[in-house]
Amino acid sequence: MNIVVLVKQVPDTWSERKLTDADHTLDRESADAVLDEINERAVEEALKLQEAHGGEVTVLAMGPDRATEAIRKALSMGADKAIHVSDAALHGSDVLATAKVLAKAIGTVEGVDLVIAGNEATDGRAGAIPAILAELLGLPQVTQVRKVEIDGTTVKAERETEEGVAFLEATLPAVVSVTEKINEPRYPSFKGIMAAKKKKVDTLSVADLGLDPAEVGLTGAWSSVLEAAPKPPRSAGQRVEDDGNGGAQIAEYLVGQKLI
Amino acid sequence: MTDTVNYTESVERRALRAAVADLGARYGQRYFLDKARTGGKTTELWAEAGKLGYLGVAVPEEFGGGGGGIGDLAAVCEELAATGCPLLLMVVSPAICATVIARFGTDEQKQRWLPGFAEGTTTMAFAITEPDAGSNAHELATSVRRDGTDWVLNGGKYYISGVDEADAVLVVARHVDENGQRLLPSLMIVPTDAPGFTFQPIEMDIVSPEKQFTCFFDDVRLPSDALVGAPDAGLAQIFAGLNPERIMAASFSTGMARFALDKATAYARTRSVWGTPIGAHQGIAHPLAQCAMQLELARLMTQKAAALYDAGQDKAAGEAANIAKYAAAEACAATVDQAIQVHGGNGIASEYGLGALLTASRVSRIAPVSREMILNFVAQHTLKLPRSY
Ligand SMILES: Cc1cc2nc3c(=O)[nH]c(=O)nc-3n(C[C@H](O)[C@H](O)[C@H](O)COP(=O)(O)OP(=O)(O)OC[C@H]3O[C@@H](n4cnc5c(N)ncnc54)[C@H](O)[C@@H]3O)c2cc1C
Repeated sequence: MNIVVLVKQVPDTWSERKLTDADHTLDRESADAVLDEINERAVEEALKLQEAHGGEVTVLAMGPDRATEAIRKALSMGADKAIHVSDAALHGSDVLATAKVLAKAIGTVEGVDLVIAGNEATDGRAGAIPAILAELLGLPQVTQVRKVEIDGTTVKAERETEEGVAFLEATLPAVVSVTEKINEPRYPSFKGIMAAKKKKVDTLSVADLGLDPAEVGLTGAWSSVLEAAPKPPRSAGQRVEDDGNGGAQIAEYLVGQKLI
Repeated sequence: MTDTVNYTESVERRALRAAVADLGARYGQRYFLDKARTGGKTTELWAEAGKLGYLGVAVPEEFGGGGGGIGDLAAVCEELAATGCPLLLMVVSPAICATVIARFGTDEQKQRWLPGFAEGTTTMAFAITEPDAGSNAHELATSVRRDGTDWVLNGGKYYISGVDEADAVLVVARHVDENGQRLLPSLMIVPTDAPGFTFQPIEMDIVSPEKQFTCFFDDVRLPSDALVGAPDAGLAQIFAGLNPERIMAASFSTGMARFALDKATAYARTRSVWGTPIGAHQGIAHPLAQCAMQLELARLMTQKAAALYDAGQDKAAGEAANIAKYAAAEACAATVDQAIQVHGGNGIASEYGLGALLTASRVSRIAPVSREMILNFVAQHTLKLPRSY
């Protein structure tokens, strides 16, 4: 079972996240960067499958230099090696370009049986990468799942939706995306932390992947952001003092909002 | 080697801190205080930290440990304390006991004990303090004598932490010859179930799962391999274990101080009494800034002491560890006190978890070595002033 896990470094969800004034891309400098929590779960799932079925776990990240920290965390959890696609030309890439790059990078790993991703990153929140990637790779996609099992050459998974639970199956190789219900990620052990620095990290550029820099980044993006404004602060709201008819006033308000 | 000083910790040390902080945050102060108040122990946290190798970071790799240094162990202790989970037994079991056995034990003793320290499955208490020999280790009365190939231990200790949780106690005892003459002290491994060894809890006003005990040794018979190191090594070998203890005690204190300072600053940013957050008043802001500086200085000295110790410079580490322990204890007591002040009445309410730290934050001024004895040490050894006692 050779597994590639997609990991992304994102601004800490606890910190204030901003767009840059220059090109309305994410301001990565102004916030603490962390390995996206959903990716920790993706790594955990890969490690569990590896424990059961053997093989190698490769983590793949596309991101600026400091994404090495997120890669290291995944390696310290127990992944075997990593690919880091880092190139200034990638700045501002949209989901289509990102998926293209990731697909090429996955192509550099031999004998991939499974690609595991989080269902969506906490920064971009497009949630489209796993599906686009599966299309580009020509692989079945088993997305948004809370449980994964491998049975021979079949991947079986459970997708929970508001309507119910769907039981999915696909033939390997396949692309799987997981939700936060999938597992509780392990903490890196001290030995894992110390071993991480000795593990192999291949750093690749856009050219190494045989892509044209014009296809990716801001120039290659299919849409562009013209303007961005911070969300206005929440207004104080309307306060109802109860001097006997508070209930009626609340009902009136709810009717006014067409809520009842 | 360059002679530049490196003020940033390694990537691995920082990753270790982050991982331990994540683990500690999942437990948190609520867990710790609940255990303390219901007579429980932090068994789950200890076991999980042990399994992840955090308690065994400084145990040599050949015995299943992490092969790191006391600086790594101190980072673990500090980060856990900073999440509200100060583990007192870290100061004793992996820091003193495992260090002494790793440095001075025979191969058999290492095989017997170190794998357990590496995984945190073995806990060992440490006993030096006696009713008539607290700060003065030269007056120890607990004695050990030869009987054939066995050793026989007699005497007593008090204020010994965690005996009820320990597999064994590392006891400092002095050899006596046939004439009853007291000779050099040695370290004896005494299993807590050894016949003739009894212990009783001392009632303490500290909110902590760890208890302190009075220990009695009545003709406790120990096998020949109970003695660690050379019988004639004396105090020097014991002090080798006390430097890590001081570095750990300092980290325990800086962690607790960080916890209190985080709470205090969060409160000062949001609590508003006169229309602005109280943190805007310099009467609140400046003392907190002083605490932050005192704390950072203490952390810096603690890291220096750990770096010297890990570089094998025992003598320089001794001075630095004492200074770090003093600075950290003062920073901790001052910060907890100020954090309570910032919280007003809430500072004493159980819900806010600060009153619970009051006694604990003062312990570090007394144990494992008192503020006064450190001042004596610096006066005498650093400043070469005459000794008064
Ligand atoms: C919570 C807690 C946990 C502990 N855990 C352990 C443990 O696990 N193992 C262990 O062995 N011990 C332990 N101790 C004991 C601790 O190490 C001693 O309390 C400490 O060393 C001080 O000794 P003492 O209490 O006998 O004080 P004393 O030696 O009686 O000192 C009393 C006061 O006099 C001062 N003083 C003494 N001599 C001088 C001098 N020459 N000049 C100036 N001032 C002086 C001291 O600084 C102190 O303020 C613990 C204590 C506490 C409170």
